[in-house]
Amino acid sequence: MTDLPIKISARNVDVFYGAIHAIKSVNVEIADKMVTSFIGPSGCGKSTFLRCINRMNDTIDVCRVTGDILIDAEDIYDRRVDPVQLRAKVGMVFQKPNPFPKSIYDNVAYGPKIHGMARNKTDLDEIVEKSLRRAALWDEAKDRLQEPGTGLSGGQQQRLCIARAVATEPEVLLMDEPCSALDPIATAQIEQLIDELRSSYSVVIVTHSMAQASRVSDRTAFFHLGELVEYGDTSHIFTNPSDKRTESYITGRIG
Amino acid sequence: MQEQHIVTAFDRDLEAIQSNIMKMGGLVEAAMTGSATALDDRDVDLAEQVRADDKKIDALEILINEDCARLIALRAPMASDLRTVLSVMKIAGALERVGDYANNLAKRSVLLLGSTRIDGAEGSLLRMIKEVESMLGDVLNAYVAGDSNLAETVRLRDHTVDQMYNGLFREILTHMMEDPRNISTCMHLHFIAKNVERMGDHVTNIAEQVIYAVNGDLPEDPRPKGNIAVADGQ
Repeated sequence: MTDLPIKISARNVDVFYGAIHAIKSVNVEIADKMVTSFIGPSGCGKSTFLRCINRMNDTIDVCRVTGDILIDAEDIYDRRVDPVQLRAKVGMVFQKPNPFPKSIYDNVAYGPKIHGMARNKTDLDEIVEKSLRRAALWDEAKDRLQEPGTGLSGGQQQRLCIARAVATEPEVLLMDEPCSALDPIATAQIEQLIDELRSSYSVVIVTHSMAQASRVSDRTAFFHLGELVEYGDTSHIFTNPSDKRTESYITGRIG
Repeated sequence: MQEQHIVTAFDRDLEAIQSNIMKMGGLVEAAMTGSATALDDRDVDLAEQVRADDKKIDALEILINEDCARLIALRAPMASDLRTVLSVMKIAGALERVGDYANNLAKRSVLLLGSTRIDGAEGSLLRMIKEVESMLGDVLNAYVAGDSNLAETVRLRDHTVDQMYNGLFREILTHMMEDPRNISTCMHLHFIAKNVERMGDHVTNIAEQVIYAVNGDLPEDPRPKGNIAVADGQ
C-alpha cells in the first residue's frame, strides 16, 4: 500500500455489547482522501466498527468500547471531546435514507445552523447550494427547496442525506450500506458521488455488495467474527487475497 | 480449490470449462503424437486425420472463450475463481497454437513423401517432439492438480528443448552443406524443428498460467533462454 497521510487510526479496539465481544482487537489505519470499504458477512462487526468512528455506539447503553481511535492523532474517546462536535466533523449516511420531516432546504441547513456556521441567510443559502451541488442534487432540487425532503425519490433522498452530511464540512464521511435500498441507477449516481467526494474527504463505506466495494474503494478491509482479517489495496484483495478466509468469502464459498 | 461455492451452479460452470480445457489438451496431445508418427512412418492418412481433428481443437477454443465470457458476465468471479477463468482463456489460446503447429507438421510430413530420409536429423527431431509432448502431458497434470511446483519444473524444461533445437539446427545445416540435394528436405525439417521449439514456448506459457492461477503471481525470475541459433524475436 502506498503511503498517504493517515486520517483515522484505530489501536487495539474492542467492542462489547454486554457479554458479547463484537469487535476483537482491531488495528487499522485509514488514509485521508481515499475511499475505504469494510466488507464481511452479517454480524461480522463492520457496522459496529464504523459506528465507533463517530461514537454512535455511545447511545447504546450496554455497548462498551476499549482501545484508542484517533482522528488526526486526537483520541475521539477523550473526555474533553464533545460527541456532537465530533459528529459534525465525522458525517454519517445510513442504509435507509432518513431525511428530516422538513423542507429540502431545512434538511441541509439544520447542521450548519446548530453549529453556528452561518452568520446570516445569505451565508446559509450559499452553504445549502454548495452542499446540494456536492451531492449532485442541486439541479433536481433547486426549484423545489421548500418542498418536504420526504417527497423526493429514494435515490434523491439518499443524496439529500449526503448533502446534509457534507453541509457541516466534515473531514470524514461514514456510509453504512448507502445503496442497499436504491435501484441501480440511483446506486450508480451515489457511486459517482463517492468518487467525487474522495478528493475532499476520507470516505469509509460499509457494503454487502462486493462488486460495489471493488468499484468504489481504494482499500478494502475484510471483517469476520469481529476480527479484522485482512486489509489492503482493493485490487489486491479481489484478485489475490492473502488470507484463506478472505478468499472463501469473496469467492462465495463457505468460509 | 476444494471448497464448494454456496451457489453450486457456479461450481458446475467452472467444472464444465475446466473439463473442456482437459478435452482440448487431450486432442492437442493426440495431434502431436499423430503428426510425429505420420512423419516417422510417412503415413498420409494419419496426417490427414490430424489435419481434420485440428478443427475440433479450434472449435473447443471458441467454446471455452464463450463460456469464460459468460461466466465473467453472469457470476462475477473473484480472486482464485477470477484467476482460474483468466488463465483458462490463455491456456486455451496456447493449446490452440500448439495444435496449429501440429497441423503444420502433419502438412509437411505429406510434403516429405518420397524424399530421402535424413535419419540422424529425423531421429533428433522425433526426440524433441517427444520431450515437448511429455512437457505438455505434465503441464496438463499440473493444471488438474493445481500443482505449481510441477508447472515450475515444466517451465524450466523449456531450456532443454531450446538446446535440442540448437543441436538440430547445426545438424540440419551440416546435411545441407554436405549435399545440396538435401536442402529441400532439410528446409522442411528445419521448419518443423522451429515449430516444435515454438510449441515448447507455448507449453511454457501454459505452465506460467498454472503458476499464476494457483499462486496469484506470475513467476518472477526470467526462465533460462537456450535458443541461440537465431536472433530473438524470430
